[in-house]
Amino acid sequence: MAVASDKTTWTIALVGNPNTGKSTLFGALSGLAQQVGNYPGVTVEKKTGEVVHHGRRWSLVDLPGTYSLAPRSPDEMVTVDVLLGRRADVPPPDVILCVAAAGNLDRNLYLASQVMELGRPVVVALTMNDLAEAEGTHVDVAALSRRLGVPVVPVQAQRREGLEALKDAVERAGAGEPPAIEGLFPDPFRAEVDRLAEELDGRLGVNLTGAHSPRYLAERLVLDAGSYVEEALGLPEDERRELRESVQAARGRLAEAGCRVPEIETTSRYAWVADTLDGVVAHGKAEARFADRLDAVLTHPTWGSLILALVLLLTFNAVFSWATVPMDWIDAGIGAVGGAIEGAMAEGPIRSLLVDGIVGGIGAVVIFLPQILILIGILAVLEECGYLARAAYLMDRIMVHVGLSGKSFIPLLSSFACAIPGVMATRVIEDRRDRLTTILIAPLMSCSARLPVYVLMIGAFIPKRSYLGGWVQLQGLTMVGMYLVGVVVAAAVALVLKRTFLRSATPIFLMEMPAYQWPSPITVARRMIDRGWDFLYNAGTIIFAVSIVMWGLLYYPRLSADDLAPLLGRQEQAEGALEAARESADEARVAEAEAAVAAAEARIDGAQQRQSLLGRMGRFIEPAVRPLGWDWRIGSAAIASFPAREVVVATLGVIFDVGEEVTEGEGEQRLTQALQGATWPDTGKPLFTIPVALSIMVFFALCAQCVSTLAVIWRETGSWTWPALSFAYMTILAYVGAFLTYQVGTWIGS
Amino acid sequence: MKAQALAVQGEETGEMVPLSGLRVGQTASVGEVLGNLELVHRLREMGFYQGARVKMIRRGSPCIIGLAGQRLGFRGDDLARILVRVPAMAS
Repeated sequence: MAVASDKTTWTIALVGNPNTGKSTLFGALSGLAQQVGNYPGVTVEKKTGEVVHHGRRWSLVDLPGTYSLAPRSPDEMVTVDVLLGRRADVPPPDVILCVAAAGNLDRNLYLASQVMELGRPVVVALTMNDLAEAEGTHVDVAALSRRLGVPVVPVQAQRREGLEALKDAVERAGAGEPPAIEGLFPDPFRAEVDRLAEELDGRLGVNLTGAHSPRYLAERLVLDAGSYVEEALGLPEDERRELRESVQAARGRLAEAGCRVPEIETTSRYAWVADTLDGVVAHGKAEARFADRLDAVLTHPTWGSLILALVLLLTFNAVFSWATVPMDWIDAGIGAVGGAIEGAMAEGPIRSLLVDGIVGGIGAVVIFLPQILILIGILAVLEECGYLARAAYLMDRIMVHVGLSGKSFIPLLSSFACAIPGVMATRVIEDRRDRLTTILIAPLMSCSARLPVYVLMIGAFIPKRSYLGGWVQLQGLTMVGMYLVGVVVAAAVALVLKRTFLRSATPIFLMEMPAYQWPSPITVARRMIDRGWDFLYNAGTIIFAVSIVMWGLLYYPRLSADDLAPLLGRQEQAEGALEAARESADEARVAEAEAAVAAAEARIDGAQQRQSLLGRMGRFIEPAVRPLGWDWRIGSAAIASFPAREVVVATLGVIFDVGEEVTEGEGEQRLTQALQGATWPDTGKPLFTIPVALSIMVFFALCAQCVSTLAVIWRETGSWTWPALSFAYMTILAYVGAFLTYQVGTWIGS
Repeated sequence: MKAQALAVQGEETGEMVPLSGLRVGQTASVGEVLGNLELVHRLREMGFYQGARVKMIRRGSPCIIGLAGQRLGFRGDDLARILVRVPAMAS
């Protein structure tokens, strides 16, 4: 293996406990030159950046935060793999930069002691020294560095202090020798590891890459219950079995000698940590700290819960009210682009594909970006300043009743904006069954794409009644009710799942309450950019493809010339009337004639719609949706929105003959009127009644009408089982829910 | 030898009680952690090793524990139970 200093590009791995300011340091070191992706084959975020120091280019790899190198979660497995140089996509690190928070050195040095055994040069970055000092904890940096035998550099990444010194230390360490950490484990343990290392050496021979010593591998073989080291060795099956027997025998002998595995690791390392820190860290007498007083309120069962409710209320308010302005811009922009294409091209399938399929499809994705960015930004700020952990703590009391822990709260919260970031946020949940349960119920949270349906239906059919002197409105209550439907059903589903095939005991809740601090704007901005891009890319590609397919289903087959002739005749008639009206210069008449022309055009669209494949499907399924109170038109709109529910309002607009421009002021009113005026052709009774409107809303609240979410579930779980299950159970629930809503509603109304 | 240093801390202390039995502000040293092996090991890695000093910050389920400069939200239940030694002359 080449000596590190000879290589042109060094790889620097950044490793540390969660909540140590590791990401902030990573951001400060690599600036904007960052790349975020996934490690192939696993859903662990891969963050790499670039640092140029004294003309040298370093590739900086930010590893997921971990408490230990004994891997249990996929995140930890990736960390270990990268540090051992076992991943093909990341070169073995030349220097390991271990981030440690000054306020909690005990636990941070536990990880550092494991890192120092890897046989690579190590530099310790000491973060949050200011917070520790404020709490009366003083760290003697020089003494700590001497004890550890590796450079320790205090940094304040947000203020960019200590970064140059840190880079200098990395440069020197990379050219020097790796640290040697001796005497950490008791003698019987070391004897066993030596014996096993010898056996390994014999077995592996030339096989051993030399990247790490057989001693280290032997140590992990003895300590870790999992078989990952065994797999990593790549031995033939019979040798593996022999090795396993040797390991078992070694563990047995160790247990007799009073060194029980795995307890021996924590006991020995924490003893080493205590020795190392003796006289290095001074704890002053801390008075009642500001953070303590803050916690006394924020984690209080009553006051804390009230504040959490307020924070959530303000967050949702911000998501829905701040986003309207940029959403209008995007809508107008999409409309303008579509209009420009429409003006520049002759009517035909290609123009229609471009305007309705492609531009409309992109618009359907981009329109939700402001809400998602705002929610992610707020969540990032709350997380960075330490509040989200307190919220998860408070919510644990509630989550425990459905068999989940407080850790499921944040993913579910994100899902109110969009289930895609919500599903991705479940990565913090270690327990697999809990994570799956959370993934399965996350799409039941009413995401922002359901909002347009609620707004349309409530505006058109729920009476404007108010109670308690105008403080409570029936329309508002209905809206809250729709959000509650999702939450209540999600709770019930979680209960059922946790009692049936995702059965497991309620997991323990163990969550660090990080120190309160000001959020770093760079970290927040990066999170927004990364997640926003993730959404655009994942959702974008799928919704885009689906929009094109849906366009095809609505566009073909075209009306025959015979069917079209009378409709065109009426359109010409209306256009003639308009011209006559213009000549007469009577404004009222002009407006009336313009409306007639628009109606004639809409009627052609509507006829085409009925004739299209989608319209035929709607009529085909009409018997199935009659019990929900729906006719074929509502059925078609529901089918069209299966790939992406946000298209439903536009589809309703086309089907009910008011044209597609229904998302803005006047168009929306026209759609409202068209829906209110729609009747059953056989009886002439109004199609939409309050029970029908409610049944549609409940259906949309519960149904899995989002291909992107299903795709993300597939990616995150690595199996088609879970997206298939999500789709099946949600669709059934939606149907049953809509059925009950309509039937009970009709029964009450009659 | 170092492990012994920690054990001595444990010896001077009195009876074992569940962590949840501590009063707010009371400190104790971790005695045993019982339950599922993997969870027990994780708790030990987080700093609940034998002899570690813990302080009850907020009681209840989950509770908040002070442990070597960190605060942890913790609800153990049957899966993992932390027993602590309270000094006989508890303040």
